[in-house]
Amino acid sequence: MKMERIVKRFYDSLEEGKMMGRKCQRCGAVEFPPVIACNTCSSTDMEWVEISGRGRLFDFVLPGVLSSKPQNEVLQPYCYACVELEEGSKFNAIVCGVSKNNKQDIISKLQNNLPVPIKARIIQREGYKTVVFDLVTD
Amino acid sequence: MVKLGKYSRSVSIIGVGCTPFMYVLDSPETEGLTEGELFGYAALDAMKDAGIEAKDVDFYFHGQASPTMGSEYITPNMQVADWFGMRGKASIHHSEACCTGYLALEQAVNAVASGKYNIVLSGCVDMADSRPVADMPAHKRRKFSFEEFVYSTKFIYDRAYTRSLDAGTVIAFDDAAAQYARENHLTDEQMDDVLNAMSINNRRNAAKHPLALMKQEFKDIAKENGFDDVMDYMRSPYNPRMSEYLRVSGVELKCDGAAALIVCPTEIARQFTKNPIEVLAIGSAAYEGSQCHLEARGTAEAVRQAYEVSGVKPEEIDLFYANDFIITSHLISAEIAGYLPKGEGWRYILDGRTAYDGDKPINTNGGRTSFGHAHAASGVADIYEAVNQMRGLCGERQVKKLPRTVMLRGFGGGQNLASIILRTLQ
Repeated sequence: MKMERIVKRFYDSLEEGKMMGRKCQRCGAVEFPPVIACNTCSSTDMEWVEISGRGRLFDFVLPGVLSSKPQNEVLQPYCYACVELEEGSKFNAIVCGVSKNNKQDIISKLQNNLPVPIKARIIQREGYKTVVFDLVTD
Repeated sequence: MVKLGKYSRSVSIIGVGCTPFMYVLDSPETEGLTEGELFGYAALDAMKDAGIEAKDVDFYFHGQASPTMGSEYITPNMQVADWFGMRGKASIHHSEACCTGYLALEQAVNAVASGKYNIVLSGCVDMADSRPVADMPAHKRRKFSFEEFVYSTKFIYDRAYTRSLDAGTVIAFDDAAAQYARENHLTDEQMDDVLNAMSINNRRNAAKHPLALMKQEFKDIAKENGFDDVMDYMRSPYNPRMSEYLRVSGVELKCDGAAALIVCPTEIARQFTKNPIEVLAIGSAAYEGSQCHLEARGTAEAVRQAYEVSGVKPEEIDLFYANDFIITSHLISAEIAGYLPKGEGWRYILDGRTAYDGDKPINTNGGRTSFGHAHAASGVADIYEAVNQMRGLCGERQVKKLPRTVMLRGFGGGQNLASIILRTLQ
């Protein structure tokens, strides 16, 4: 099997302003962040696709003493969230724009099955770029 | 979905051993103890309990959460063998962080069920309160600082993406508490009381356990600090929040300790003990730290496998253990396993029904927040407690109804989940 440098391509693409995932050619599931094989149907027939960055937040916690990190101070206010991309991938990530002030509003939306939309943003960390999300407000 | 097959032959636990969970550096009587000695004492206790000697053991498994960091070892099974008379016998090491001790049973059971070995020892050790002093003999250790520990927790997360996305939410698995509170419409204050009640329960149990790390009950600590009502103390700055939901009383107390168990084919178990404990099933799952609600999902899958292969029903479980290095686990895993009714477990906890003397006891040894968390060894320590409860040997913390069927839910290691069902052999 051809050995592709998937992790390297993911980070190289971020340097070019693109968020890349891999779409299964058998079942259509999208893996983001990208990996070799499909975790839905096990196929290795995957093609690179650019991710829209649009998605939804479906659970979250605010940072505390144990989970606060100095490098995230520039992102305040933020939360650690469970997110789902419109392409279908679900994973944990940072979502900016969430604080004690709007926590209850977001919980109410989740309890009433209302969407909490988010949009991805590429940020610079020390030595590499990564992805965080912003709450999309009306 | 994985469908488990029946074991090729039934396997039973015939011996258990456990050291005190402790801070070895904090007492002149324990300072200088080494990982080889701790493993050796636990293993020898288990062999004595089973009425066997090292010469009778065919193979052993060694578990340690992080041998490189904790002991400067790569193959730590080699370094403990001589300490309990096992020189030259085959063994392997395994490491699944906080789930190591539960999967230690699975390794041993599989080795016997396959027919390859008859008598297998499985032990785990961790000295999580200290680290080796570089280039000094093993009895020289130094304190493992909280800052070092927090830094090291990232080692359980994937380097490709999870760390850079901050997807592991460090060690504060608050998502379980957030999800529970949201789905059951609990206020932050109600959820706080539920978490505090579990911490109180754990400590009350540990206070009656001679091997537990912490033996002072929170009601007494509250009084010492001028609080007549223990819950007022638990809600106060004396019990600070470590994350959005968790207070310090609900977070593991990492410490030093070891535990071991012996298994053999059930058909010969009565040669060694009059009360063998049969291992009916071990279900398991694993999710990397970037996966949403991994504890709940993995627990559901592990529990499903265990019930399916054993035919046991949730209502048959008499006693439940959860690896609760984050106290929330205590509640959510018991509900997922059907030990507590879904959405109602929090009421059982507030009503004291999960205490050792309640009708739905959980973590009779005090769990990770009070018995202590010698990371790899904790799972075997829970099995040690479960077996002794099933034998009716737990004295003043003995549960009211002698438990015949027990479930243990393992969790940890970035993250493994396990669901073990034990039953007293009739």
